[in-house]
Amino acid sequence: MTVKTETPAAASAATKRPPAPTARKKRSWVGLWFVLPFTAFYALFLVWPTFLGLYYSFTDKSLTGRPASWVGLENWSEAFGDERAWSALWNTAEFTLYSTPPLVVLAIVLALLVNRARKLGWFLRMAFFAPFVVPVSVVTMIWIWIYQPDGGLLNHYLQLLGIQDAAAPTIWLQGESTAMWSVVLTTVWWTMGFNFLLYLAALQTIDPNVYEASSIDGASWWRQLWHITLPLLKRTTALVIVLQLIASLRIFDQMYLMTGGGPNRATEVAIHYIYIAGFEGYRIGYASALSYVLFVLILIVSIVQFRLFSRKED
Amino acid sequence: MTAVQEKSAAAPSARPEVRRRRKRPTVGAVIVYIAAGALAVMWLLPLLWAVSTSLKSETEASLGQDIHWIPETWSLEGYRTLFERGDHLTWMINSTIVSTIVTVLTLVLCVLAAYGFSRFDFPGKNIVFGAIIAGLMVPGQALIIPLFDLVNSLKLAGTYWGLALPQVVAPVMVFILKRFFDAIPRDYEEAAKLDGAGHLRVLWNVILPLSGPIMAAVGIFTFIGSWNNFLWPLLVATDPSMMTLPVGLGVVSGGYGLFYAQNMAAAVLGALPLLIVFLIFQKQIVKGIAGVGLK
Amino acid sequence: MRNHPSPPGSLSRRALLTGTAATAGLGLAGLSLAGCGSVTGGLDGRTRVKQWNLLAGGDGAVMTEMHDQFSAEHPDVELQATTFGWGTPFYTRLVMGASGGNASDIATIHLSRLKSVSPATLLDPIEIDELVDHGLDPSDFPAQVWDKCFVDDRLYAIPIDTHALVNYYNRTVCEQAGVLNPDGTLLETTGVEEYYDLLRAVQDVTGEYGTSLDTLGGWRQFWAWYRQADGEMTFGDDDFEMDDDKALQAIEIMYRMSEEGLCPRFADGGQCSANFETGAAGLVQVGNWEINRFKAFDEAQGFDFSMTEMPDFFGNRRTQGDCHSYVLPHHNSWDPDVRDATLTYAAWMLQHSFRWGEGGGHTPAYLPVTESAEYQALQPNAEYSGVVDNVQFDPDAWFSGSAARLFDETGSIFNQVYGLAMTPEEALALIKERIRSLLALPNPVD
Repeated sequence: MTVKTETPAAASAATKRPPAPTARKKRSWVGLWFVLPFTAFYALFLVWPTFLGLYYSFTDKSLTGRPASWVGLENWSEAFGDERAWSALWNTAEFTLYSTPPLVVLAIVLALLVNRARKLGWFLRMAFFAPFVVPVSVVTMIWIWIYQPDGGLLNHYLQLLGIQDAAAPTIWLQGESTAMWSVVLTTVWWTMGFNFLLYLAALQTIDPNVYEASSIDGASWWRQLWHITLPLLKRTTALVIVLQLIASLRIFDQMYLMTGGGPNRATEVAIHYIYIAGFEGYRIGYASALSYVLFVLILIVSIVQFRLFSRKED
Repeated sequence: MTAVQEKSAAAPSARPEVRRRRKRPTVGAVIVYIAAGALAVMWLLPLLWAVSTSLKSETEASLGQDIHWIPETWSLEGYRTLFERGDHLTWMINSTIVSTIVTVLTLVLCVLAAYGFSRFDFPGKNIVFGAIIAGLMVPGQALIIPLFDLVNSLKLAGTYWGLALPQVVAPVMVFILKRFFDAIPRDYEEAAKLDGAGHLRVLWNVILPLSGPIMAAVGIFTFIGSWNNFLWPLLVATDPSMMTLPVGLGVVSGGYGLFYAQNMAAAVLGALPLLIVFLIFQKQIVKGIAGVGLK
Repeated sequence: MRNHPSPPGSLSRRALLTGTAATAGLGLAGLSLAGCGSVTGGLDGRTRVKQWNLLAGGDGAVMTEMHDQFSAEHPDVELQATTFGWGTPFYTRLVMGASGGNASDIATIHLSRLKSVSPATLLDPIEIDELVDHGLDPSDFPAQVWDKCFVDDRLYAIPIDTHALVNYYNRTVCEQAGVLNPDGTLLETTGVEEYYDLLRAVQDVTGEYGTSLDTLGGWRQFWAWYRQADGEMTFGDDDFEMDDDKALQAIEIMYRMSEEGLCPRFADGGQCSANFETGAAGLVQVGNWEINRFKAFDEAQGFDFSMTEMPDFFGNRRTQGDCHSYVLPHHNSWDPDVRDATLTYAAWMLQHSFRWGEGGGHTPAYLPVTESAEYQALQPNAEYSGVVDNVQFDPDAWFSGSAARLFDETGSIFNQVYGLAMTPEEALALIKERIRSLLALPNPVD
């Protein structure tokens, strides 16, 4: 094996038919031709912009195209002292903190239900996963309306249930304390399906004999859940949390479409602030420096993820 | 089996329970079904609400009206205005073109690269592969600023290429495909090579037929990802004639005021293509996601 | 050529890309999608003119209607107009498009924003001769507006109109409340308290609110009331001057109005006008552009309304306003046919701007229209014709102007004031803090 990432569990096929010895690989240039097209794309659209951005972060380059000049570390020192940037990062973290627990717990609960209600499996899978394939702007169009303070669906039903006073409707997306939660709720509805399917797949690989044996031992359903099922879902949960963490750091679409970062910047997240600095504020140089701060953060999370998973697979 | 019998004999109280669960639905099972069904319907409510509103007339759909789910007068007004405006169809076509370019190119480039990495040894291989694996950790969204500038200076802004090409770079797909190819035994290839087949022919005739499911999963996920990509097309598709569906719907205003029936008709039509794709490929998608979790 | 700082080790990126495609050997060239525009439209030999606008309100419908008429009269021109979300989304798109030479052929902007879109690099100047060739003359425009269209002695904009915040009133409700003159016009009030009394009377009739306002567009109301009190705001390089007492007094009007329930605590543009239509509010203080919406509502359901100038709070009826104008976003190269068709379109729209005034409620900038007897007799436009003299343009700074950062950032603060989540004192302190941080930013335009 020439590449270390190979693991015995790499592919299910591997366990059935062990790969032939690699000694047959010959050292030649042929392989390069196969690899070249992708590598060229990769170099142009990923490696090159990475360096270009680093370069721009030392200039005052403007979107207006007026001549740019070298400004040294000015952008960087501004970025580290920029309260708005830090609050955007905090909002990003806040979104992660609010959205991850429901995205994990709901997905587990629903997967457990669906796993037991197998006769409705097709319909249930569809119902919970369908929102995931809906484009984000459609999701936000629908939810913006649901959240309308006067005449929106949510307030209507809250009033009907007597939870809310019709004279003082809750202002969801435009309220400083409610906006983030509203976006979180929409996001949970939108993306929970993916995690749900991950859990469902994991549940369905659990050998039924495990339960058989324990129920014969007199273990209650509850005990089985805590002592058998959930421990077996640990790996999936780790995966879900890490994926969620990375997705959250990159969050932008929902905020941009639903709140525009408002009210009073309560939902302004990292990518959005980069967008604002670079495209609304024309400051390509400064936005590049901001991007790098985020870049490094995501990199750290990814590396932690990598270590976590390579350890688990060993 | 005998062990089980012995055990159950030792704990007789547990036995009838097991048997009952197998034969007819217990109260617990009924509750599970009702809860799951109710939750599923609740989960679908926002989508159903969009469908319901899109079938009302504008006056019935507007904000001040009572909330009811079944239109009093069924109307296709919203859909009709939408088609008269014509944008929607343009965006749908653009999305199809862009997602197709991205999917085809991703498949071709990633399969070639994955095969190259899996089957050949060439100078610098480890360095190149290492660099690509490192790319797994590079967040595309943090590169929007330089990428936008790059595409602008390549004069690709506002073209299909400008929309599609930067989305093609997907190291994770190379990684997934390589792992799959690694697991395919070489015996078949050796046989084909003895028959005088070249490398490309081997890839096409031997490897690809064995890779159907994984190709389908990679293809479908690339397609969905590209179709629903919002940020990148938001930046480069400046003119509405070049916008993809998510961007057009999110960015172009309906001309005047808010017309909810029309708005929701747009939402329904916007959701439809991928919902259909999902219903058709449900099996592959579920398997694909399961593959992520079980890898 | 636009100026990009040359990145280290710059190689021909285009060559690299071409090389990539060629190496890939995918026959991409066969698809030849690069460079060409959309697959839809533009294939029938007509000259295509792309227009971008931000007119998402009632005036947008009037513009669409005028476009239909223009297209009918000009079968050789294919006019493609697009409305983007009002404000920042529109301006960002304009600048991003123009930076790649990829924006529309013509766009509407607020004149107050002209400098902020970097005309020297992102717009193409218009020659006076060109205008004359297309039937427009500098003397056709009011001098004070025309002068604002120049940057560095080059003409970059063609003014379309003047528009302002006005006061609409529901005659049926106001009559019941006893706040109409015998001739059916709204009682004139002097001072804030008198106006509040009027609102209370109206609120007694509606049972909900007295007036409705766009709580997200608070800058407009603030600037009108601040300017009524002769408040000044001037920006230096790193400092600014404003009158705290007058500002506080203007913000307190918002707070008290909302606290007493005389206006909604939250209403976006759509909701604010809906409140007026449903009768939840007997008045609405919003731009003259909503006239078309209310007229349409009148036709559909019967709705007796009229409009007048802003109420006099501090000794005059000044209001906040701006001018829509046409600009030509930067093109890498102009097709002479497109340029000609574009200016033909602009000239036609101005010459037909009677409809713009009648339907959109704006006061056309084109004098041959506003000076016509027909226009002067137009109702209810005549009832608020004074706004043209009373209109107050936003203060001068790169972050100021319609939908610019000052407008947006103070707007969300005022929204909190209406929502009673912030006291006027807190709001003022925050506004000053925001202005300070805006001033601290390097000016990205020049």
